[in-house]
Amino acid sequence: MRQSPVPRNYFRNSSPNSTAGEGRLQQIPKQRQAKQQSGKSAIQTGDEDEKLRSVGKRTKNQRQKIGFFAHFGSPTSTSHCCADKDSTTSSHMPSTSPALTPGLSSFLKSLKANPIDTSIENLISLLKRRQICHSRSCATATAYLLRSVVSLCRTSESVRLIERVQSVGRRLVAAQPREMVVGNIVRRVLGLIRDEAEDDREAEFALSESESQPQTPRAFDDASLPLDRDSPLLGSERSSRPPLTSMFSLLSHPEPENSLPSTPGSQSPNGHLNGPSKDLRAEVLEGINEIIDELGQVDEQISNYALEHIHSNEIILTHTSSTTVQKFLLRAATKRKFTVIHAESYPNNHEVTHATVSGNRSSDDENLSFESFQKPLIALGITVILIPDSAVFALMSRVNKVILGTHSVLANGGLIAAAGTRVIARAAKVHQTPVVVVSGVYKLSPVYPFDFDSLIEYGDASKVLPYEDGDLVEKIDVQNPLYDYVPAELVDLYITNLGGHAPSYLYRIVSDHYRKEDISF
Amino acid sequence: MATTTESTAAAGAKPFDIVATYNELLRSDPDLTMPIAAIEALVLLLTHEPSSTISETLDLLEKSTAHLKKSIPNPIGLSAGTDLFQRYLITTLQRPGQLGPAGDFKAIRTHLLSNGRLFIRRAKESREKIVAFGRGFIRDGCTVLTNGGSRAVASLLQKAADEEGGPSAVRFRVIYVLSPISKNIEEPSGEPEGMETVRALRAKGVPVSTIPESAVAYSLGKADMVIVGAEGVVENGGIVSRMGTYQIGLLAKAIGKPFYCVAESHKFVRLYPLGQYDLPIEQHVLDFKSEEDIAEQSKQPADISGDRPVELPLCDSVDFTPPHLISALITDSGVLTPSAVSEELIKIWF
Repeated sequence: MRQSPVPRNYFRNSSPNSTAGEGRLQQIPKQRQAKQQSGKSAIQTGDEDEKLRSVGKRTKNQRQKIGFFAHFGSPTSTSHCCADKDSTTSSHMPSTSPALTPGLSSFLKSLKANPIDTSIENLISLLKRRQICHSRSCATATAYLLRSVVSLCRTSESVRLIERVQSVGRRLVAAQPREMVVGNIVRRVLGLIRDEAEDDREAEFALSESESQPQTPRAFDDASLPLDRDSPLLGSERSSRPPLTSMFSLLSHPEPENSLPSTPGSQSPNGHLNGPSKDLRAEVLEGINEIIDELGQVDEQISNYALEHIHSNEIILTHTSSTTVQKFLLRAATKRKFTVIHAESYPNNHEVTHATVSGNRSSDDENLSFESFQKPLIALGITVILIPDSAVFALMSRVNKVILGTHSVLANGGLIAAAGTRVIARAAKVHQTPVVVVSGVYKLSPVYPFDFDSLIEYGDASKVLPYEDGDLVEKIDVQNPLYDYVPAELVDLYITNLGGHAPSYLYRIVSDHYRKEDISF
Repeated sequence: MATTTESTAAAGAKPFDIVATYNELLRSDPDLTMPIAAIEALVLLLTHEPSSTISETLDLLEKSTAHLKKSIPNPIGLSAGTDLFQRYLITTLQRPGQLGPAGDFKAIRTHLLSNGRLFIRRAKESREKIVAFGRGFIRDGCTVLTNGGSRAVASLLQKAADEEGGPSAVRFRVIYVLSPISKNIEEPSGEPEGMETVRALRAKGVPVSTIPESAVAYSLGKADMVIVGAEGVVENGGIVSRMGTYQIGLLAKAIGKPFYCVAESHKFVRLYPLGQYDLPIEQHVLDFKSEEDIAEQSKQPADISGDRPVELPLCDSVDFTPPHLISALITDSGVLTPSAVSEELIKIWF
């Protein structure tokens, strides 16, 4: 049964009223010579649309015949919301049909009205039911929730605040441990609180010390303080501090080490801490707002690097309908002409991928977010070739670059991405094609993949074999893994909102963004 | 130097022998690593040789370190310790603070001298930290292949075994690669290095299989991961470890099994070997001989005197495992990729 999508697509390619995918690929050299006039590309978009429409027609016919592609092309909103829930890496369609289905937007709306505990429960159940699923939606929901938690937490001590955030964070992570961005955001908020608390303590320490002693012992840290305030998200100075002494810690003086952890307890009774602690919460809230801003801007920031990596007349292969990748390609398309081969990522994300390619996404869902107004690549005169996942290896020899989105990135440089990514990355390795992964820093998790299998989530088996085929379902074991683990050696470059990094450098970004004590909070 | 000789003469004792102290420290405490023994030896040196100025102390340290390195056949491990000690001294002196230049040099000296025990304790604690980080690697039902007599590996495996029957019980198996060459020189036919760990693990109910080095390729198919120890971790993230580790690394890479190295971060050493034969060690693993050479050698008794660097006995020989074979380094500062080592080193040197 798993083989059926292949003949379907071959069938489509050979169909008379559509431009065959392979034929198009052979045209590429010609197109290069012709340098593609804009008028020509308009024609192209036209027949691209026609091609896709015909694909839809074909598959609808097939669906009637086989009853296999039950969800494909069906206009009902329920099937789309279903696709939303299970589509893998992309974060482009936050499941937002506010009236009908609970999702990110309804959660954010309810956040103000509901008491905080209800909101926590609400998010936990949303995560458990996978009604919020994409990395970015989860991250946004977590950040907003934690902002409310922090602002409503009426405590004057950083320790209490940390405990509170930790307990909420633990519950959220337990609700959906494979959605690693939730833990990432919690860790970053914890790091924020700790930093602010430490800054306060240092300022105080420096004050009291400067009265008694001529030199301030932490002059170096104080000097780096304004830097921290300016860019708490970049973490440029912040966490380079603890590892600074890591090798020296063996020989270091025992006193300052012992005094640091004990200060919160010892200093709190003297009442001196109450002054700056009000400030502390405001600072933390500001930091969380910056995280939320970052989540909003991350794709834009990543796409700023597009022109450095995509050159004229290149053939780019991509997979799934990841918005990050789409925006990256769109940015490059404003200046350059290139060809995109898009693997459809059957069966979990193919509908959205088809919609992304054809650009009729906005009419499909009642989602009025910014993404839905985005032009498709074909509108910018880019040749997009939609291929089944099974054709990736065959076409890889012609591909210049593979650009992939991801679900989350792990500390060792490996990644958890939509099922099929590993096949593509491996095929690229065989052909020595560079593999570029675009991902926001918020997806970067300090988790080390001890056990890859536990990180892979399994989805709705009926997408592979619908329950209409009841007699078959009883006889065979159908599995639908949503993710793949891609080892670090298959990736050549990561592009995050901070720039391009080698996989072996990711540990550094991890240590910049998360504090050691929060890694297993 | 005049003052130091005077002072030792005044003390009336025989001059402080750093090499003997170092060897004695290593012998007295089997849990002591080479870098820590070197640091301890330097601390003892400072207690024996009173020096009042910074440059005098640094000079003394430099001379003694050079002497120690020359006298020990494999100075890689200990140079990690002596470098760390020297850098700590210099950095603390440069850094503003109570131990800094404006502060009292005596303060830092007394700190170093009075806390010798503390350093040893911390070094041993760092092994516990490694265990905490490394615990996640050993999972239920997995088989670990290991070699050599690394104490860090032993403590990691034993800790995982300790939890047997506990709430987080790990059921795992161990394939222990034993070298036929005995570590014990006095007793050449004695048991190979690592047998103690094997016995300890078996006592804890962990099934252990011991294999010779020649069976590694055969056995790797049954192993889920390789965990090895290291004598030194070099700048590029490669490791200097007992002979045979490199081939296990190559085999693990070929078979596609993860290869982890367990090492304390004080073993990071500023050394950049370009290959197997680029280590600052005199070891004659390869010794080409014809019949004639053998006859000649048997006639001439080995001449021990002279300035020749000390040769490393065959049983102590090491090899270099390049970083691309290593999946991760499990250290007390976390699970690092090999490229993270250079950064740790840069932090203390520059």
